[in-house]
Amino acid sequence: MKGYTGKILKVDLTEEKPHVRTFDEKYVRKYLGGQGFCVELVYHGVPKGVDAFDPKNVLAMAGGLFDGFPVGTGGKVAFAAKSPATGTLAESIMGGSIGPELKHAGYDALEMVGKAEKPSYIFIDNDTVEVNEADDLWGKDTRQTADALKRRHGWDVKVACIGPAGEKLSKIACIDCDERQAGRAGLGAVMGSKNLKAIVVRGTNDLVPANPKKLLDLALHYQKVYEAAGSFVEDTKYGTGEFLGWVNKERGVFPTRNWQEAVFAEREKIDPYYWATRYVSKNKACFACTKPCGKLFEVKEGKFKGVAVDGVEYETLYALGGACGNPDVESVARANELCDIYGMDTISAGVTVGFAMELMQRGIITEKDVGFRLTWDNASDAVPRMIELMGRREGFGDVLADGVRVAAKKIGKGAERYAIHTKGMEPPAYDVRGMKGHGLAYMTSTRGACHLRAGFYAPELVGKFWKWVGIDRFSPAGKGAMVAQMENFMCVYDSVGLCKFSRGFYLIAKLLEVIEAITGLKFTEDELLKIGERIHNMKGSFNANEGMTRKDWLLPPRITEEPIPDGPSKGHKISVDEMNVMLDDYMKARGWTKDGVPTPEKLKELDIG
Amino acid sequence: MACTIYHDGVVNHADARLQVHRRDVKTDFPSVCTHCVSCGEDCCVLHCPVEAIKKENGMVYVNEDECTACGDCVEVCPFGVMRMEERAFNCDLCGGDPTCVKFCPMKAIVYEEPKPEQYELVKKMLKEEPQ
Repeated sequence: MKGYTGKILKVDLTEEKPHVRTFDEKYVRKYLGGQGFCVELVYHGVPKGVDAFDPKNVLAMAGGLFDGFPVGTGGKVAFAAKSPATGTLAESIMGGSIGPELKHAGYDALEMVGKAEKPSYIFIDNDTVEVNEADDLWGKDTRQTADALKRRHGWDVKVACIGPAGEKLSKIACIDCDERQAGRAGLGAVMGSKNLKAIVVRGTNDLVPANPKKLLDLALHYQKVYEAAGSFVEDTKYGTGEFLGWVNKERGVFPTRNWQEAVFAEREKIDPYYWATRYVSKNKACFACTKPCGKLFEVKEGKFKGVAVDGVEYETLYALGGACGNPDVESVARANELCDIYGMDTISAGVTVGFAMELMQRGIITEKDVGFRLTWDNASDAVPRMIELMGRREGFGDVLADGVRVAAKKIGKGAERYAIHTKGMEPPAYDVRGMKGHGLAYMTSTRGACHLRAGFYAPELVGKFWKWVGIDRFSPAGKGAMVAQMENFMCVYDSVGLCKFSRGFYLIAKLLEVIEAITGLKFTEDELLKIGERIHNMKGSFNANEGMTRKDWLLPPRITEEPIPDGPSKGHKISVDEMNVMLDDYMKARGWTKDGVPTPEKLKELDIG
Repeated sequence: MACTIYHDGVVNHADARLQVHRRDVKTDFPSVCTHCVSCGEDCCVLHCPVEAIKKENGMVYVNEDECTACGDCVEVCPFGVMRMEERAFNCDLCGGDPTCVKFCPMKAIVYEEPKPEQYELVKKMLKEEPQ
């Protein structure tokens, strides 16, 4: 079996013992790699009802099938565990370089269980696998941790680590590698609960493709395809925020001031079209990326002098910018940097701060509770300050450090009404009141509000994608089946390890020849989508077993009751009726019960045991 | 990756003739050198005890039949250009049409005559301890 190492490494942190097992072609045809492997390991490894911070929770990590091979943007690594934020099976995908490195070390996946007695890190150097003490690293931020480990083991090792937020079990903590983050669903806190500070990998083994010549030709071919694409130019110049102006002006779905508005009046101040030339000193790319959206953002003067961060991404411009009413891009960059070094997800952290700012606007919390003015007009100072407190879990930061759902419960006094989330996860940068199918995707996403499980924002904002044309973003009609199909497609993407910014380049059929060049295995389009469907059903089935059904999926009242006040999407909301129509359609398309439970027949059809 | 796949039919960036050094958010740089002799340092050609390394037309070649894999050349090369597996190897510019150049999406790898100041810059970066 070419293209795979054929091995899964399991490290029991309680026993400090590594164990290697092998898999065969049958396993590959069922789960493909990356997210597929991770979901399989968590689905079969985590007993029912176990708390996310219990040592029995499994944290899985796997490089995608394309990881380590020269396929443009194919270097993504997946993590999965039972999430402390949502209680669901949640995966989080990131770039960086550790996925390919793990495969070069000889493992397609790494399964971590148990809990180390003391702060520890896993060190993998090809066949050598050690659990080492990390007392001296505990408390260090992500940059200090990676730096210390590289000094110790050599500059060529790859490090994925958590910051202080993960150690302190913040439910919005992320895992960091090369300033790239597996941000969502609090998987950094799962690492923290295992006393696991970092995963250090060195891999120097060959990876052998089935057809090297064909693979190189394909790689060079796609290289040219990328370079000719408009998005290559835009991403390279401005990063992922390149369409921020358009989303505001043309579509009116940029959630602002904790989702009270959908157009940010001061958007030009955070639009990379205006700031890129001033702050960006170079492009940054993940391993194997041919379309670098990462930017080194440096502030050279003023009160935020010294800030140097890989960003600022579109989602972060929304969460720490628009959602907090913060028009100061230097302040956004500083807050971004603080999130990165403390190890918190910028989306969840920013939305949580925005939520607290609305509470202060409404008098539910006061300056006395917080210690300073957490107000819209003071956003530039207040946002980074609040983020730092959250990272340290100090003062009011401790209240906010677990995201909006937990914070609202702690605060009470009607704060729940303003907590924007589904399944306990804070939403990304698309106001779904003006894009209804995407609203459905926020509900059906197995890890809570997410723009990437279905990636449905692209079809709705543009109006066409894949096999569909003339998509009406304001209509709920037909969205159920479309979202289900996109979810299957995206599961395949996360399993092959491709970046979703490539989804317009490699539509499902085009993946086939790349997979064949690497593995020698022939798949059909339907077989791949079936694998995607299987992965999604496993996640759905896990969540249903944990007692989560349709009633737990619903959108917050702001989206179902308050129409967008202004802009191109003015007057739109997703009514309860529309929500139900789309959910009914979706369940039907999935072959699940109306309550959102995968049927035994469906599980049997997909060979899920 | 393109490098080893072209030369060896396998993928292994650890064995690539071109290396990317990544240290922190501000510092990452590639290094490639095929003209070791021109840099004026103790070079692999002079150090090879069995004279398996030759320089012709500004290019450094390893005669794989004569190489004993002693590793001396790897030790002396200030750029980490000479590599060792079963035999020493280095960049051969893919015979004059480097695959890495074709592959670089940012056109950051340029195929041209090297300048002395570039050697100095790379040496400085390699030696520099990050802050």
